[in-house]
Amino acid sequence: MSRRGTIEKLLDPRALVVEFQPIVTTNGAARKLLAVEALVRGPKRTNMESAPVLFDYVRRKREEVAIDRACVGAALREATEFPRSVALSLNVHAATLSRDPEFLTFLADTAGEYEVSLQRLTLEIAHHAPLWEGESFRATLDALRHIGVQIALDDVGLGQANYQMILDCKPHLFKVDGYFVQGCAGDFHRQAILESIQALARKFGARVVAEGVEDEEDLTTLSRLGVELFQGYLHAPPRAAADLITSGLIDA
Amino acid sequence: MPPVHRILIIDDEEPILFAMREYFEQTGYRVDCTSEAEEAEALLAHVRYDAVIADLRLTGIFRAEGLGIIASVRERCPWVRTVLLTAYGSPEIEIEARRLGVDAFLHKPKPLRELAEVVAGLLGAGSTGSEGGIV
Repeated sequence: MSRRGTIEKLLDPRALVVEFQPIVTTNGAARKLLAVEALVRGPKRTNMESAPVLFDYVRRKREEVAIDRACVGAALREATEFPRSVALSLNVHAATLSRDPEFLTFLADTAGEYEVSLQRLTLEIAHHAPLWEGESFRATLDALRHIGVQIALDDVGLGQANYQMILDCKPHLFKVDGYFVQGCAGDFHRQAILESIQALARKFGARVVAEGVEDEEDLTTLSRLGVELFQGYLHAPPRAAADLITSGLIDA
Repeated sequence: MPPVHRILIIDDEEPILFAMREYFEQTGYRVDCTSEAEEAEALLAHVRYDAVIADLRLTGIFRAEGLGIIASVRERCPWVRTVLLTAYGSPEIEIEARRLGVDAFLHKPKPLRELAEVVAGLLGAGSTGSEGGIV
């Protein structure tokens, strides 16, 4: 295998596997879809089938730009199955927005190719290393907002998704990792953190998405703390677009 | 049912990887393989292994990525048993590997049966097996 063997395989347009997980609001037992997040994995029956392994590897190879483009392209292609009313959330590394001056053009062109309106898109910023190109990162974010793309900050409170990133991103959505969410019903300290994130988001004019919601009691606690948006197996596991449509969670 | 041990094999020669995967799978292990140090590091960060078998050199040039992998395993998951294979073993390399805490330092070529005996010995009594769990 060549030195770039695995990366080249990942860049094959049909290699990546895309599933979508709903982000919902709830009102009692009723659920309403806010958006679907595209979750991309590597080829089946390879080491890259695991998303954490895939993206850890990509970061170690410093190939975030190429892989993010491939993932965005694959997600937009698969999203053509959805009705045009369905909003889409796509993951992008902060490093990509810093290093790829053509990313915005790429996103607009690819969305246009698949007839996906930019106003349907949210970019979820994942951040795993200190950012040295802060100026270009912020400029790209401003340009994205200008063309109608919403910004979400992924994994708020974990790793590098800290106060500095919140300031730099000024996200529309604060996505809180399942680490803080799972077990919050019986954990005063988790509740304290969630409450503070909720209060901070409100000050920013943003909303909180609780990820990894798997338990009714946690859902009740999150609702009591003011969280309105939820994502997790309690509502729906990630599924291929066609399967999600037939599940009834999306109005065709 | 005996525990299923999960092992990671790292070697830049595809035929060797293929043969080792076949042999260890037939012996009852769950096996992941890679030819790249970065892929190995990513796997080690997210998958719980019982043993790692690493080739010393992964690029065909005079580098010793295998030592870096052994060091990484020792630092992050010291319970994982390690085997370093090399066709270029010098006493200095072996001393360095031992200093890093490698469990077995073996010279290539090594019959697969003998390699499997070494791994089985390292994973012997008291090992519960990872059952392939993700960490």
